[in-house]
Amino acid sequence: MATNNDFNNYIDTKKGWVDRRIFWDQEIYEQELKQIFAKSWQFVAHDSMLPNVNDFYTTYMGEDGVVVARQKDLSVKVFLNSCPHRGNKFCYADDGNTRSFTCNYHGWSFGIDGKLGALANEHVYDKGDIDKEKWGPRQARVDNYKGLIFATFDPEAPSLEEWLGDFRWYLDMMLDGDGSGTEFIGGGIKSYVNANWKFGVENFVGDAYHALWNHDSGLKAMNNGEGFGQAVTEGSYHASVNGHGWEFGTDGFADVIIMGRPKWTEYVQNVLKPQMKKRLGELRSTIYGSLASVSLFPNCSFLPGIQTFRVWLPRGPRKLELRTWTIVNKSMPDDIKQEINIGCMQTFNPAGVLEMDDGENWEGNTSVNKGYLTRQEKLHYGCGINRQIEHQELPGTIYAGQFNDANQRQFYQRWADLMNANNWDDVPTRYTPRYSGKPTV
Amino acid sequence: MSSTQEEFNTHSLSVELMNEVQQFLYREARLQDTEKFRDWLNMLTEDIHYWMPYRYQRYRKNEKEPTIYDQAYYNDKMEDLKKRILRTETGTCWSEDPATRAAHIVTNIEVELSSNPNEYQVYSLITVRRNMNEDEEHTMVGHRTDTLRRVGGELKLAKRKIILDQNIFMNKSLNVYL
Ligand code: FES
Ligand SMILES: [Fe+2]
Repeated sequence: MATNNDFNNYIDTKKGWVDRRIFWDQEIYEQELKQIFAKSWQFVAHDSMLPNVNDFYTTYMGEDGVVVARQKDLSVKVFLNSCPHRGNKFCYADDGNTRSFTCNYHGWSFGIDGKLGALANEHVYDKGDIDKEKWGPRQARVDNYKGLIFATFDPEAPSLEEWLGDFRWYLDMMLDGDGSGTEFIGGGIKSYVNANWKFGVENFVGDAYHALWNHDSGLKAMNNGEGFGQAVTEGSYHASVNGHGWEFGTDGFADVIIMGRPKWTEYVQNVLKPQMKKRLGELRSTIYGSLASVSLFPNCSFLPGIQTFRVWLPRGPRKLELRTWTIVNKSMPDDIKQEINIGCMQTFNPAGVLEMDDGENWEGNTSVNKGYLTRQEKLHYGCGINRQIEHQELPGTIYAGQFNDANQRQFYQRWADLMNANNWDDVPTRYTPRYSGKPTV
Repeated sequence: MSSTQEEFNTHSLSVELMNEVQQFLYREARLQDTEKFRDWLNMLTEDIHYWMPYRYQRYRKNEKEPTIYDQAYYNDKMEDLKKRILRTETGTCWSEDPATRAAHIVTNIEVELSSNPNEYQVYSLITVRRNMNEDEEHTMVGHRTDTLRRVGGELKLAKRKIILDQNIFMNKSLNVYL
């Protein structure tokens, strides 16, 4: 055990409950930074955010600030944004293009590769005082899945391919639907929510349920006054791969229509879906665009069809920083990209008619736990607990019906597995892989 | 650190016009505070562009102007604003019941004449103090550049660009117009 706390005591996937203290306690949060964010592969940037040599973007892995930087050979490096001299951040910009970073405090400078270079007034150092090779910021392992840049600071972590596992089969709907690759629309929106980071992730990993009630007004706004109608369980699923989760229907268009841009709906129907059908097959071309939401463990989410893409960065147990972008396929015509940009932003950013109603709930979920008695109470995660099935085509752990808590239960199981693990051998694979070592297109 | 000297051309500006513009902006603020959104829409031209682009912090050498093809809090035409307002009228907008209490404070108003005698460029600072739930208090400040147009004798808002001061937007939602 990584501490003497057994984190399986905080969840029960058989009875279907989660202990509220995991959304509140500082000690548990510190353990998350160590056991989850210092070990997991995390999304740090999209390739399109750093198209040119010397482009950089700054973000966080857990609460560790990092620089993501495009190298001369077009590879990407990710390193801590902290000067090894006295610790100051050496880059205070969100993104940009530069050959080097110079720390404001004493003037140490670092190349775009993170290596320590010239020191201001270097003559104050005697020969032998510093070995520059040894005093650069710590470097992460970096890998890329179809345009998404991931990093981990754990040299022992499994490969990114293994980390994503069979979830690649699902990811390809978003990242490889027409073979042209994806890009982000320029810029990005960042906001704070006074909520535990897991509430954002678990909402996207499996909570189709809330959409019907919580988002009724937003859905009506985007769909000419019409709401969603009845929850359909037939032909809809929860799919989980070691905590990554995709909940989805097979209606084909609900999430596309929610964006409220008829030109986009037409494009999906006439151009994108036929291409996807050829490339990924009938089932995946049907799933794409249906009522759905997705999270990658630990803290990255997106909506296929609405095209919002985001990370939930932890800022203490009671606060998160949400970074949102809009993702499009490279091959899409400019006017379609702009339709998506506008429709996605109108629904999903702090001013979006859907997003606006979410933060409110997550802040409530979190803040009530200031009550000592309140946080001793459990939360119910039992919906659809007996609906597990096998599916011929769908990889991962599959539950029938997208109105279900299955993906959330699997997410918290993965959370407990990592929180408890002393090393990677302790971390179980909780599904039967079908695509190990195999491509998913 | 702008290197060019701005030229001010205000001597031809009448007190009446200044007053009219001020009253327009104050009325707009009051309609927002009192949630009279349909009345507010009447103060906009049919071809309104309501734009609040994303905000990033960049080195001076890397600074760039946002475009309408970048991500934005608002990038709305009239039909889009109507959708937002429809949301608040559905009766199922749970997060607005109980209602948010907002105070729109408009200051630093400057009016500039343009080459078009029916259009004015108006700068202002908008501060919204939002109070909600038990004790949540949020402040948002935006730098606005508006185009006001005279249509049939009446002033209307034809364009608004809002530049937010906050790099990370500090609140869970932006449920008020800036
Ligand atoms: S802290 Fe960076 S140079 Fe001293
Ligand atoms: Fe939601």
